[in-house]
Parts: sequence; C-alpha cells; structure tokens
Amino acid sequence: MNHALLPIPAVIDTIDRSVINNHIFTLRPEQSIELVPGQFVEISIPGVGSFPVSPCDLVREGLISSCIRRTGRVTEALYYLEEGDLIGMRGPFGNGFPLSMFTGQDALLIAGGLGMAPMRALLKALLDNGQTGRIILLYGSRQPETLLFRDELVSLAGHSRVDVRFSVDFAEILPGPCGDVLCRIGLVTELLADLDFNPRKTVSAVCGPPALYRCVLEELALMGLPPAKIFATLERRMRCGIGECCHCVAGGRYICKDGPVFSLEALRGMAEAI
Amino acid sequence: MLASTFPSYPLEQVALDELLGVIRAERALWAPHTGADGHCRLQPMGEGSLPRVAITAFLPLKKLLLPPREEIWSFRSGEYCTAQVPQAFAVVGVPLCDLQAVWYLDQAFADDLPYQARRAQALLVGMACVPGPECRCDGLSMPLAGDLFVDQERVWALSPAGQALLRACGCQVSQEMPLSWPVAVTGKRHALTQKQFFSTTEAAIWTDEAKRCLSCGACSAVCPTCYCFDMLDAAALDGSVTRHRIWDNCFFAEHGKVAGDYDFRPGRANRLRFRMEHKRFGFGALRGQNSCVGCGRCRKVCPVDIDLDQIAERLDGEGGS
Repeated sequence: MNHALLPIPAVIDTIDRSVINNHIFTLRPEQSIELVPGQFVEISIPGVGSFPVSPCDLVREGLISSCIRRTGRVTEALYYLEEGDLIGMRGPFGNGFPLSMFTGQDALLIAGGLGMAPMRALLKALLDNGQTGRIILLYGSRQPETLLFRDELVSLAGHSRVDVRFSVDFAEILPGPCGDVLCRIGLVTELLADLDFNPRKTVSAVCGPPALYRCVLEELALMGLPPAKIFATLERRMRCGIGECCHCVAGGRYICKDGPVFSLEALRGMAEAI
Repeated sequence: MLASTFPSYPLEQVALDELLGVIRAERALWAPHTGADGHCRLQPMGEGSLPRVAITAFLPLKKLLLPPREEIWSFRSGEYCTAQVPQAFAVVGVPLCDLQAVWYLDQAFADDLPYQARRAQALLVGMACVPGPECRCDGLSMPLAGDLFVDQERVWALSPAGQALLRACGCQVSQEMPLSWPVAVTGKRHALTQKQFFSTTEAAIWTDEAKRCLSCGACSAVCPTCYCFDMLDAAALDGSVTRHRIWDNCFFAEHGKVAGDYDFRPGRANRLRFRMEHKRFGFGALRGQNSCVGCGRCRKVCPVDIDLDQIAERLDGEGGS
C-alpha cells in the first residue's frame, strides 16, 4: 500500500504568464508521474493547502504543465511563488479520457473557459497518435483576450485534420476570423448549429464549467451522438483524490476515483452530477 | 466476513484479570467511562478490572481510529515526512454495533495508509450491552471487526489476535458459537430500497425536514460510520509544516462547493438527502451496503429530533405518489 496522501516534492520549472490570472505552471516532480489526459494531480503548497488540477499538456521528460486560474486561497498563494520554488504533488488520480474510443472515429471537442486546459492535453494526445479522423474543436471563452493557447490553436487550424472554432461572450471589437479560425460572439453551443459532422462516426469530449454541461451534453445526444460516446470531465473540490473524503460524490460515485471523466450514459443515472 | 459463529470459551475457563494483564502489558488501554456530567466518553482506563458491560460512548471508535485531527505528513527542510506510527492500544467495553462500524471503516479506508497503520495497532474487545430506547442494531446487517467479545457467560475470539490472546491465557478447547446479540432491541430500522429513495428526490419531506434541520452536523460527528474529512495545514515558526486530516461534515455549507463558488449541494435539503444516501446506500465500492449500525447516537444528539428511519417511513409512503 503506498501513501497516496503523501506528496512528492516538485519544483516550479517555468511559469508562462501570457494570460492574466491563468498562468501555466510547469512542474518537475522528483519522481515522474505518468498521466493520461483527463487524469489529475493534487498540488500541495505546504502551509496553505492543496487543490486538484488536470494538466494541459502531455507529460514530457517528467515535466507536468497545468493552466491554473487564480481563483481561491491556495491558487492565490501559488501566484506568489517563483520559478525554482519547491511545492508538492501527488497522483495520478482518476480515470482520464478513454483514448482508445477515439481510434478510427472523428473527435468533437467542446471546451468552455478553463476547460480548454485539460482539453488541450486530449487534443495533443489525439494529434500525437494519429489514429483519429477529423478533429473539431469548439472553444468558448469570455472575451477574445481570455482565449487560452490562442496562437497555438490558431496555428493548429491550418492542420488539414483539425477544424478550430472560437466563440466569445463579449467583444468590443469582433476579432474577425483569427487566421483560419472562425470566431463568433455567443455561446459555444451556437457553434454546433451549422457544424457539419457525422454523429455516428464521432466521439465527443466536453470540458467546461457546470453550466456548459447542462446545455451541451443532451444537445449532442439530440444531434445523434450515442450517449456512450459523449464524455464530460467533472470538476469538484477533491480533497483526497482516492475516494475517501466524500466531497466529490455524486450519484453515489466518487468523481475523483470513478471519474472525473464520465459518459453521458453514466451521468444520466447520477443525481446532482452536473 | 459475515461469520455467524466464532470460537467461543465458557467464562469459567477464562481468567479475565489475567487477560487484562496481558493486554495492559503491551498496550495503552481505553474504555468507555461515564463522567460526573452524565456523558460517556472513550478515555484512557486507569487501574481496575475489566468492565463487564459495553456502554455506547458519545463519540464512537472513529475518535481513535480516524481521530478528529490527525497528522498525515510534515514538511521539513524540503522533504515530506510520513507521520509516526501510533503506539499499540486496546479498547475494551465496545458494543457490537460499534464493531460493525469498524468493519465498515476498514472497507472505506482499505487503501489508506495512515488509517491502516493506526488500525493495525488497535485491539478491540467487545462486550455485551444493555440496549437503550434508541438502539436498533441488527447482527445480520453487516459483518463486524474486532478481536474479542465478552458477555456474561462466554468469551469469543473474533480474530486470530484474539484467539492468540486467549491461548496465552490458557484457554484450550473452543466451541463455534454465534455471538449473543442483544435481544431486547425494540426499534426496527425501516428498510428502504434505492429505487424508493431515488424516485422521491422531489418529495416534500426533504424540504419539510430541511426546515427543521439546523445543519449543525452533530449527527455526522457522532456517527460511527461517517468519515468525511478535509485537510488542514499548520505552519510552525521554524518553517516546518504539518498537514492534518480533520473531520469534515456533509452538512456544512462548504462541503459541495467548487472553485468559483458553484455549489452542488446548496440547500439543507440537498445535504440532508446526501447524508441519508450515504447512510443507506454507501458510496463507491461500498454502494449497496447500509452503513447504519443502529447505535442511535444521531437520534439522541439531534436537537430537532430528525430520525432517518422516520424519513424512510415517510418516503416509503410517498414513493408511489
């Protein structure tokens, strides 16, 4: 039995401060941690506390990158730290996205806000293994300035297999097509309306705030995607990550252990999950 | 294991004082003790002989196995260090329902190193009890943990450690016998199926009861199978940090909140229903196992007389409507 509640030391390798209050922290844990996109780690700041976060990239050479929003007491403390500082990390926790299900299928990825961070890890995994057909990414954010990984996603849109579309809630000046990327003002779900895809040959992954799930998951099912092929990754304040502390429970299941990725088929039987 | 029988020895074969001496030589001894204020607490036992009757302590065994505030690790000079393994201890005078609760905690924390380290140091000695009006125990509802059980006539070995202790005290010939569960329990736990429970999520009873519920969390605090926890760091002046596991409570307003203040269980009705779901049907791998051992602590402690069995009864009535 290993001590799943004991962190291993991790050094802050780099901090990318491109987007205000959504910095990307790249950490180097003392022992490497293998992660599937959608799995998460618990980051500890000794003396302050810990929080769960899903990496925004594949693990490369032992480095784990996460886009961490400055939103609470512990993330606030992280923003006072510098490159080279020592914190802690434990994991991996959770199930992650079922990558094998995307083989030979098209992928419809829908992200809202900070949900783009774990979605980017999935996107990279799908691009890396090359087994997925067409990849459509719909990404909604508050404003053009808060779009995460914007330059990278715009350059991806030139990729023949990838179709990227943005939506923003408001914009004083509509950014217009960002390169080959369509950007609209409105909800990310509105991007679905004129989307041309084959629902029977598509697997979907959705990641965003709770409000996004309530409107988009059933809509995808209405468009003809089987509920077993629509996946969402749920956010909770997981204290332990190992199915004990009870904070993340919905529908009798520990989201940290049985999830955080669930199919719509499973979610329909889980009260208060979304 | 839901073993119906255990090796048992007639009391005249067992020198209880000798047994106590053997236990005391190796372990710190705890027992329920009723103080001058009328409350019964688990506390270190002084000199004296083995109690012969179990008393339901205000706080159950989780007080020792999953303490209210427990060191999980410390951080010193850039290193994370595991907490020290606690010393061996024994608890005597435990009622059978509390031994069932320990079985449940053992399952819930099967992969938890700090819990298992503490648990491995515990020797639990059950005793026959005198059931009170709140008691609704049921020997068939759940297996039990523990090492020994003593009633007015016999001693049972519940575990290999218990068996070894009895052998050390000279007991030789055992007989497989069922435990003597209390027979005077009058209250019955209301059986409620998952189907009934989940078809009544909108039932008025939840808002009715939630109007009375104070969200004080006393029921969870005294419950022998409630185990929600949170983590809390304590920083010392020398720069070291200790992370503690502390009891949490699903009635507290913060329990279902996530980043950005979104709350998945915003009202008391949600939280009351959440707790009852846990008690009746369990979470995760324990789904389907009723975790209420019928000790009656929650009913005794609730300042507004909320009783999950009464709720179950009402839900049963409203199920079809």
